[in-house]
Amino acid sequence: MSEKILDIKNLKVIFPASSNVIRAVEGIDLTVDKGQCVAIVGESGCGKSVTSMAIMRLLETPPALIQTDALTFDGKELTALSQKEMQNIRGRDISLIFQDALTALNPVMTIGHQLDEVYIRHEKLKKKQAKCKSVESLRLVGVPDPERRYHDYPHQLSGGLRQRVLIAMAFALNPKLMIADEPTTALDVTIQAQVLDLLKIMQKAHKTSLILITHDLSVVSYMADVVYIMYAGKIVEKSPLKPLLRAPLHPYTEGLLASVPGLSGTNGRFIQIPDAVPDPANKPEGCYFHPRCRYCTEQCKTQKPRLTEAGHGRLVRCWYPLGRKEEV
Amino acid sequence: MGEPLILAANLSVDFPVRGALGKKKKVHAVSDVSLTIEKGKTFGLVGESGCGKTTLANLLLGLVKPDAGSILFDGKEITDISQKQLKIVRRDMQMIFQDPLSSLNPRFNIFRIISEPLFIRGGYTRKQMEARVLELLELVGLPASSLHRYPSDFSGGQRQRIGIARALALNPKFLVCDEPVSALDVSVHAQILNLLMDLQKELSITYLFISHNLAVVRDICQSVAVMYLGKVVETGNAQTIFDHPVHPYTQSLLSAVLDVDADNKRERIILQGDIPSPIDLPTGCRFHTRCPNARPECAIHSPELREIESHHRAACY
Amino acid sequence: MKDRIKDLSGFLLKIWRHPKGRVGAVLIALLIFTAILAPLIAPYDPYDVTARSEKGLAPSLSHLLGTTITTGQDIFSMLIYGTRVSLLVGVVSGLSIAFLGAILGVISGFLGKWADMLIMRLVDVMLVIPTLPLTIVLTNLFGKSYGMIIFIFTLFGWTGLARVVRSQVLIIKKSTYVKAAQLAGASDFHIMFRHILPGVSHLLIMNTALTSAGIMVAEAGLSFLGLGDPTAISWGKMLAEAQSGGALLFGHWWWILAPGIGIFVSVFAFMRLGLALEEIFNPRMRRTSSIRKLWKSMNGAYLQDVFHSMDEEPVPVLQKERVAVRE
Repeated sequence: MSEKILDIKNLKVIFPASSNVIRAVEGIDLTVDKGQCVAIVGESGCGKSVTSMAIMRLLETPPALIQTDALTFDGKELTALSQKEMQNIRGRDISLIFQDALTALNPVMTIGHQLDEVYIRHEKLKKKQAKCKSVESLRLVGVPDPERRYHDYPHQLSGGLRQRVLIAMAFALNPKLMIADEPTTALDVTIQAQVLDLLKIMQKAHKTSLILITHDLSVVSYMADVVYIMYAGKIVEKSPLKPLLRAPLHPYTEGLLASVPGLSGTNGRFIQIPDAVPDPANKPEGCYFHPRCRYCTEQCKTQKPRLTEAGHGRLVRCWYPLGRKEEV
Repeated sequence: MGEPLILAANLSVDFPVRGALGKKKKVHAVSDVSLTIEKGKTFGLVGESGCGKTTLANLLLGLVKPDAGSILFDGKEITDISQKQLKIVRRDMQMIFQDPLSSLNPRFNIFRIISEPLFIRGGYTRKQMEARVLELLELVGLPASSLHRYPSDFSGGQRQRIGIARALALNPKFLVCDEPVSALDVSVHAQILNLLMDLQKELSITYLFISHNLAVVRDICQSVAVMYLGKVVETGNAQTIFDHPVHPYTQSLLSAVLDVDADNKRERIILQGDIPSPIDLPTGCRFHTRCPNARPECAIHSPELREIESHHRAACY
Repeated sequence: MKDRIKDLSGFLLKIWRHPKGRVGAVLIALLIFTAILAPLIAPYDPYDVTARSEKGLAPSLSHLLGTTITTGQDIFSMLIYGTRVSLLVGVVSGLSIAFLGAILGVISGFLGKWADMLIMRLVDVMLVIPTLPLTIVLTNLFGKSYGMIIFIFTLFGWTGLARVVRSQVLIIKKSTYVKAAQLAGASDFHIMFRHILPGVSHLLIMNTALTSAGIMVAEAGLSFLGLGDPTAISWGKMLAEAQSGGALLFGHWWWILAPGIGIFVSVFAFMRLGLALEEIFNPRMRRTSSIRKLWKSMNGAYLQDVFHSMDEEPVPVLQKERVAVRE
């Protein structure tokens, strides 16, 4: 039984607005084992970024309201900690990589200085020692000529290099858990390959657990051990990677897999999922996915399916999961 | 080999930029590019940021004047014509943009957005414009009730459809699609791409499809040009290039594309280093600094595009 | 056309619905009424030399705010007539600043190159010139009138707005919907009037409201210094007279309070409107306090119900501890 580094039970996040309530996250359970890479897959508006912010307790309340049964990190209940204690954990034990490195880095400080800050603040190092460590971190992530680049400002670096700096900052203190929110979406394909490789190497080297948040299933297939598929605030499928790719259970997963154009060609027409992701303020009745589902039945339109076990550590939220003929 | 709509020959453009010490430097955006776009077909332009594909598109649309080279649009030379004549030619060209958020004026309602090209051209009554807009809405699969609503009421995919409707208003012959699906949710990509393909069949439009997503390009384009630092490194029939890429850059681009196939793990070629700056270009072949097959002569002479097989040319030794 | 009218009425409604907007709108309407109907509302005509009363009276029923020590004019009437000057100077200056700032900002941002350089250098020059000494010089040369004051405010006030408008124009110029219009053959004229100007209209309206507020204070200051029209009745002048006439000495606080309140109310009104507009135009400006108020007005039980509705299986026999996180 592997040890859990993160255990979330029944996380709910809502945003009360003037005329209605936006249900961003509707009671999700999530576990991450030590050293594991867990992917949360979903499109815009599904609640995945809100989830990561809620884990780090970075959600502003107001406007958000959070409720959860348990949010356990490395045995500690995060919700019971004060903001100060939480600040110590952030950056040292849990770190976060954002999508856009340019906005995540301070534009008026050199990258070296920003890296130093991490060491000075958490490990209480002196400036000289911090600089040593920073240069070493830059070298480890493959920044060429790190002593010179130490003095560069974020805008002087390319997107790929900036992302490496973010990775360096995130791994600097050897965190136990790292959350990467769309780390490669803004990058070119070849740079994306480099960055993902780096992430994989660093993760294995430091034995860090990783939560990878993305909409891109091809990235997931390269990195993840376990995949959670989110739709409209709920988890609709959870599965180890290979079974998910070979035989998806939820129609949405099937659709997502089909919309990744493989290099093997699609004979002139792309398989499409009709319509669009529901507005979080205005979700459909019954199963949230039913308006777009090819297999929709009357039951799907009125009754919300529950998350049920499907064997081999898989969970699915559907009345008629693929590959099964009986009702669950 | 169909009739060419666009014949571009030896296009080059440089942009002046101030260097670090106030020295005047040049960004070599596009250097000696030639290509042929056939009528009614889709031509793919592939490359990473900074390779010059957007600049090339701007050149073909007449938004930027080339420093050298010529462009023939439907048989007419458009590189040296006056602004007035250019405006008339441009009615046959349009563009759809990457970001559905900023490509529509948030203050305009949908009717005003789509009818704007008609309004600019002039000579349409209000009734005519309304009729045409409704026609276009139907063409792109949006309800007629959208007329009086605002962009903020629509999803990204729907906004992109509005952008397409606007682009088609004046019945253009040539449409530049600049990363039309990159900013959209993955589940919506297919909808928009299918729409574009259907429209092409119905209206016989010629597309220039710019993307960094190679898998998409392969399925939607007949011909492809791969660009790197302002030069075309490989060009030809899309299927051929993707099946047997010859240039090392193309090979690495293809290998970098991740697949969701659980069982098929391809050999990935990871390039070393970063993309060099278009101001200080490497000597000789522009790709040699990152090329896994680089040889001494690559640093000295820049290779020309040579014919590998029919409809397939590459610039490498 | 029908669309525009609908948009306009929708917009005015938004201002009305907004708490700050409503306050501002009501007060401004009140001020405008007072200014226009001054002769009807004011019990006495302060300009009428013959209708003077006893000097230095304390507030009473016949003179709600008493009379001035120096001339025996009814202070209440002076307060009412004072709205005319304040509103006139404030609004007219605000509008001309908006006009000038918009034009120069748009030209500068849109045409770029030499026009941009020229106008921005001009802005730099204007900012360096000391405004008060110049005002004194100009009013002495060309006479003291409110027309002069308006001219001076406009002369110095357009610079800030032009800069802000220019930035916004630069952003709009780069947006792809402008590019789409250019591809369709739009003239510069079309782009300026159909895309750029409407694009900065929010900025202009908001700025005008806030600028007018600032100008009213500045006008009071100039009138206090004696640079305004000596024959007109303005709050600033009232304050000056009150000070020189010995209001402090004799304890006639009502003489000082009256113009003070006048200035305060008019500035407050325009600022409320300006801030309301800011929040309407940029919904992200809505501050935490208004969200908290929203929460309080919501039923706590309702929110708990929302949370409960997300639960699935009924809670089993083991009691689960619900940990609610609310900071």
